[in-house]
Amino acid sequence: MQQSMTEFKNMTEQAVPKMSARDIHVRYGDNHAVKGISLDLHLNEITSLIGPSGCGKSTFLRCLNRMNDSVAGCKVTGQILLDNKNIYDQNIDVVQLRARVGMVFQKPNPFPKSIYDNVAYGPRIHGLAHNRTDLDEIVETSLERAGLWQEVKDRMDSPGTALSGGQQQRLCIARAIAVNPEVILMDEPCSALDPIATAKVETLMDELKSEYAIVIVTHSMQQAARISQKTAFFHLGELVEQGDTTQIFTAPRNEKTRDYITGRFG
Amino acid sequence: MSDDLNIKPTDWQSPEMVRHTQMRNRREKRFKLFGLSAVILAASFLFLLLGKITLDAAPGFLQTSIEVDINFDKAVIGDPRQMGRDAFIENVRRTNMLRLVQASMDIYFSEVTDRRDRRRLLRLFSAGARDQLRNMLLADPMIAGTSKRVSLLASDDIDQVIKGHTDISLPELQRKVKNKELSWLQKFEDDDRVSLHFHSLFFTSGDSRDPELSGIWGAAVGSALTLFITLIIAFPVGVLSAIYLEEFAPKNRFTDFIEININNLAAVPSIVFGLLGLAVFLGTMGLPRSAPLVGGMTLALMTLPTIIIASRASIKAVPPSIRDAAMGLGASPMQVVFHHVLPLAFPGILTGTIIGMAQALGETAPLLMIGMVAFIVDIPASFTDAATALPVQIYLWADSPERAFVEKTSAAILVLLTFLIVMNALAIWLRQKFEQDW
Ligand SMILES: Nc1ncnc2c1ncn2[C@@H]1O[C@H](COP(=O)(O)OP(=O)(O)O)[C@@H](O)[C@H]1O
Ligand SMILES: [Mg+2]
Repeated sequence: MQQSMTEFKNMTEQAVPKMSARDIHVRYGDNHAVKGISLDLHLNEITSLIGPSGCGKSTFLRCLNRMNDSVAGCKVTGQILLDNKNIYDQNIDVVQLRARVGMVFQKPNPFPKSIYDNVAYGPRIHGLAHNRTDLDEIVETSLERAGLWQEVKDRMDSPGTALSGGQQQRLCIARAIAVNPEVILMDEPCSALDPIATAKVETLMDELKSEYAIVIVTHSMQQAARISQKTAFFHLGELVEQGDTTQIFTAPRNEKTRDYITGRFG
Repeated sequence: MSDDLNIKPTDWQSPEMVRHTQMRNRREKRFKLFGLSAVILAASFLFLLLGKITLDAAPGFLQTSIEVDINFDKAVIGDPRQMGRDAFIENVRRTNMLRLVQASMDIYFSEVTDRRDRRRLLRLFSAGARDQLRNMLLADPMIAGTSKRVSLLASDDIDQVIKGHTDISLPELQRKVKNKELSWLQKFEDDDRVSLHFHSLFFTSGDSRDPELSGIWGAAVGSALTLFITLIIAFPVGVLSAIYLEEFAPKNRFTDFIEININNLAAVPSIVFGLLGLAVFLGTMGLPRSAPLVGGMTLALMTLPTIIIASRASIKAVPPSIRDAAMGLGASPMQVVFHHVLPLAFPGILTGTIIGMAQALGETAPLLMIGMVAFIVDIPASFTDAATALPVQIYLWADSPERAFVEKTSAAILVLLTFLIVMNALAIWLRQKFEQDW
C-alpha cells in the first residue's frame, strides 16, 4: 500500500512537468535561431539536447533562465512555464528566477576569488544564510554534493581559478547548487574536461538528478546515452525529435536523427 | 603531364634554398638591428634631456652663505629685559636689521669709508638676511647684547660668482659684479667665511622676486590643491560614466553620439578647456580668478575623457564568462558590476586615473587662461586663494631675466619630473598589486 502510494506520487510528478517550453522562437536580429520549440522538463530526469553546432541548443537553453535578456538584439517569443507560471511574464523577478534555475557553463568560470567565496556568493546575495555557521554549512554540503569537498577542504582560501579544469567545473556546479535551485542547466559542461574529470561530473549529475530537473547540452552521443533519460534532437533551430533516450538511440523515428546519431553528419 | 604532378621532397640543400635561408636570416638580423638602434636613440635622447636638466638643476638646490660677526647691539634693537617681551618684539619688527650688518661690515672692512661703497657692501647679502636676523631675535630674544657669528645668505649675483656662472674675465663694465665686490668677496674667501650648502628654503618658500629667496612650496601646494579638486570631480564622474556607458546604456544613436564626443573631447587641445573654464567658471559662474578650485574644475574637464576611455577599456576587458557566472546565480545587474566587474577592472581604472592626473599635473595652458599665472608669494591655504601650479611656476621662472632663475627653473623641472615619475611608478605598482588573473 505504502509502496503504491509513492509510486502514484512519482507518477503524478512525472505527469506534471517542472518546466515546459511552448512554441519558443528566438531571433538575433534577422537570424531566426530557434524556431518554435516545445519541450517538457521533469524533475528527477536528465534531458539531453543534442544536434550539430549552431542549431540553437545553447540559445534555447539560455531562454530557460532568461540569460538571453542581456544579449543585444535577441528577441524571444513563446511561453516557458516554471511550475505553471510563465517566466517571461511582466511580473516575474529575473533575479529570483535565476536562483531557481541555475546554470553551469561550457568553460569552467569560477570567480577570481577564494573557493569558499565562490560557493558562498550565491547564498550571500540571496540572503540564504543567517550567520557564518549557516554559510559554512551551505558551502560544505554544496562542495560535498559536488564531490569536491575532500579535495579542497584544506585550502578553502586559495583561489578557485588555481584548481584544475575538472575541479573548477565541479566548483561551478557546487556554486550553482548552493543557492538551492530546482532546475540546473548545463551547456556542454564536459567539453573542456579530460575523460576522468568527465566521468566524475557524470557521476555527480546522476546523483544530483534525484533532486533536480537537469538539462544538458552535449556533443557526445555516448554521454547523452549514458546519463540522460530524455533526449531532444535539434536541427537548424527546429526540434526534430524528442523522447526517451533509449528510444531515440535505438529506434529513431526521424531519418535526420538516425543520420546524426550514427555519425553521418554533424 | 603526370610527372608534373609528382610531388618531390623539398631539397633544402639546393643552392636556391640555401640562398633563401641566408636572405631570411639577414633580414631578421637587419630588423633587429634597426629596432635596437631605435631604442638606443630614444634612450640616449632621454638621458641627454634628463642629464642636462639634472646638471642645470644641481646648483639650484645649493646656496652661498657668508659668515659674518653680528653684534646684536641693544642700542639698535632694544633691550628685552627693560622693555618687556612684547615691546621688544614690536621693536625688532620695526628695526632695519641691515644696520646690524652694516655695523659688522664697518668693523670687518674698516678701510671702506665711502658712503656709497658701504651701501654696496650691504648688497653682497640677500634681502633675506634681514629676515634671518629678525627670526633669530624673535626665536631667542636673550641673544640681544651678545655677539655671534651668523651665516647670512649671499645675494644672487654673489651666489652666481661662487658657483662659477659669472664670467669674471669680462671687462668690468659688462659685469653686474664689479671688481670692488670681487675683492671684498676674496677677503671673505681668504678668511674661509664663504660656504656653498644645501638650500632648504627652495623647498619651503613661495615665489619671490629674489632668486635666492624663491621656492617651489607655494606652487607645489597650489598643484596639490588643484589636483585634489580634479581628482574628486573627474574620478567619480569618469568611472560612473564609464560604468553606465559600458554596462547599462541602451545601444542607440544617442549613446553612439555621446561615445563619439567623448573620444573627440580627448583630442581637444588643452588650451580650449582653459577658454571654456574662463568663460563658464569665471565668466558665468563668477568664481574667483587664479583659484585652485577653478583650476581643478578646468583640469577635471580635460582629464574626464582620459579616465572614461581607460575605465571603459578595462571594464570591457573583463571576460563575459564572469558576468555570465554571476548573472546565472541570480546577481542583479548592479551586483554584477560592483561585485565582479569593478574589482577586476579596478587596476586598469586606477592606472588610467593616475595617468590622467599626471597629465593634469603637467598641464600649463588651461591654467594660464584662468589666471593661475600671477606672481604669488603666499602659500595658498584654501581652494579659493590665489595660487599657481608647478608647471606654471616653471614657465614664470623661465621667463625671468636673472641668471639665477635659470637653475631654479631646472630645479623646479626636476621636482615636477620626480612627481610625475613617482605617479607613474605608483600606477605600475598598483596595477601589479591588484591585478588578478582569471
Ligand atoms: N549572441 C549572439 N548574437 C547573435 N547571434 C547568435 C548569438 N548566439 C548565437 N547566435 C546564433 O544563433 C544560432 C544558434 O547558436 P547556438 O545556440 O550557440 O548554437 P549551438 O549551441 O547549438 O551550437 C547560430 O546561428 C548563432 O550564430
Ligand atoms: Mg552551444
